[in-house]
Amino acid sequence: MAFRQFRALLRKDIVSELRTREMIASMFLFVVLAMIIFHYAFTVHAGSSSSSSGDLSLFAGGMLWVVFVFGALLGLNRSFVHEKDEGCLDGLLLCPVDRVIIFLAKMTANLIFLGLIQVLAVPVFVVIFASGRVATHLPAFLALIVLADLGIAALGTLLATISMNTRARDLLLPILFLPLAIPLLIAAASGTSTVFSGAAGGGSLLARLAFLLVYDGVFLVLAYGTYDFAIGE
Amino acid sequence: MGSEAGPRAAAPREVAVDAPEIRVEGLGKAFGRRDVLRDVSFTVPRGGFLTLFGPNGAGKTTTLRLVATLLRPSSGSIAIAGHELRDDPQPARRAIGFISHNPLLYRDLTAQENLRFYADMYGVADPARRIADLLERVELSHRRYDLARTFSKGMLQRLAIARALLHRPRVLLLDEPHSGLDPHAVDILDGLLGEIRAEHTFVMTTHNLGKGLELADQVMILDAGRVVFRQTGRPAAADFAAVYREHVRAGAVD
Repeated sequence: MAFRQFRALLRKDIVSELRTREMIASMFLFVVLAMIIFHYAFTVHAGSSSSSSGDLSLFAGGMLWVVFVFGALLGLNRSFVHEKDEGCLDGLLLCPVDRVIIFLAKMTANLIFLGLIQVLAVPVFVVIFASGRVATHLPAFLALIVLADLGIAALGTLLATISMNTRARDLLLPILFLPLAIPLLIAAASGTSTVFSGAAGGGSLLARLAFLLVYDGVFLVLAYGTYDFAIGE
Repeated sequence: MGSEAGPRAAAPREVAVDAPEIRVEGLGKAFGRRDVLRDVSFTVPRGGFLTLFGPNGAGKTTTLRLVATLLRPSSGSIAIAGHELRDDPQPARRAIGFISHNPLLYRDLTAQENLRFYADMYGVADPARRIADLLERVELSHRRYDLARTFSKGMLQRLAIARALLHRPRVLLLDEPHSGLDPHAVDILDGLLGEIRAEHTFVMTTHNLGKGLELADQVMILDAGRVVFRQTGRPAAADFAAVYREHVRAGAVD
């Protein structure tokens, strides 16, 4: 029964999004535009373009995750738009469903949308910032993305739920989300920079991955313990 | 994990067999420091139909939302089909169907997809057949593959009725269901309510005295969050209009 409910919630969010493409389109456009802006902002110096775009790999991790975190915020802000604006939240809360199932389904949907954007945007990023360089630690980079995305989705879904019932929800979510996302941003950015610089930083990369794992665990447990109250009155 | 019980909760509690279908005792609700409901009590037997009347802000919708588990009471207790909401909300939710002026439907899903979603959420057996039956009943079979956003208000309300009946609830809560409907849609809604009258226990809120008395076998008037009048049995419309004017605070009558 719980899996049937989870599947129904996830399918509903994905079908609704694929039908309108509002969230995916806005996230993707934002991410690509932000990368292009970063590219010009960091390469143009006093009217001349830097020839050593390889230098950008030092900042690549930071730029990538700043773009992803802000892009994710766009999506997270809209993740309850159907429930809130169409009044369907009551319909959802009337159902005999454990509130944690709602959280898990919403988080998974956010994770899928973010992952989809990254599948499209990471190649663009590699071309712009890493000069087509093949990452030396590709499996580690993928693990970094998965763990960082899980943290963004877990924290973001919980906070989007809390801010949904406030009048200033569009403002409140970034104000709540960004300070709590700073540790994740630091770990993901420094890990990604290690990957793209090609430095032999395997040990520090593992430490970043371990940190992200703990971060994800903390917010998943927090959501499990508080979601009843977060989504209720 | 709070007051809500789910699959992780303890084993089901025993249910009193001869308990009223709805029992509300000493119900109170405050938003911040403002009491919007004070000491409201009533029972509705199985198959009964209670209509709640009252001016805007009297607490009718709050009462209904508390019974529907959409709000948590500040005081008092509610039991639905023998299940205490505070301890055991999930079985109570299975027993409740809720119809309001808001259809609670996803506009970007088709009629069929909306019903399939709710069927899965309630664990309805053989959902395809149940959905087909209900769409037939509310005369929307021909629009089953159309997005809900293309439906008129009346059609959405009919689909909302199908949604509310999907899991065969024992209790139907109706929050001003006629609100915003044109006369034809009102006729269709009334016809459907008449058809299902014998199958469920009802609580309805309305401003419309005629509609509210039509099916009721118990009436209650709320004013300023308190019960100011209660009667078992259906009063005559003319008599009740006088009672309503007498009990509702001056200037509060719509």
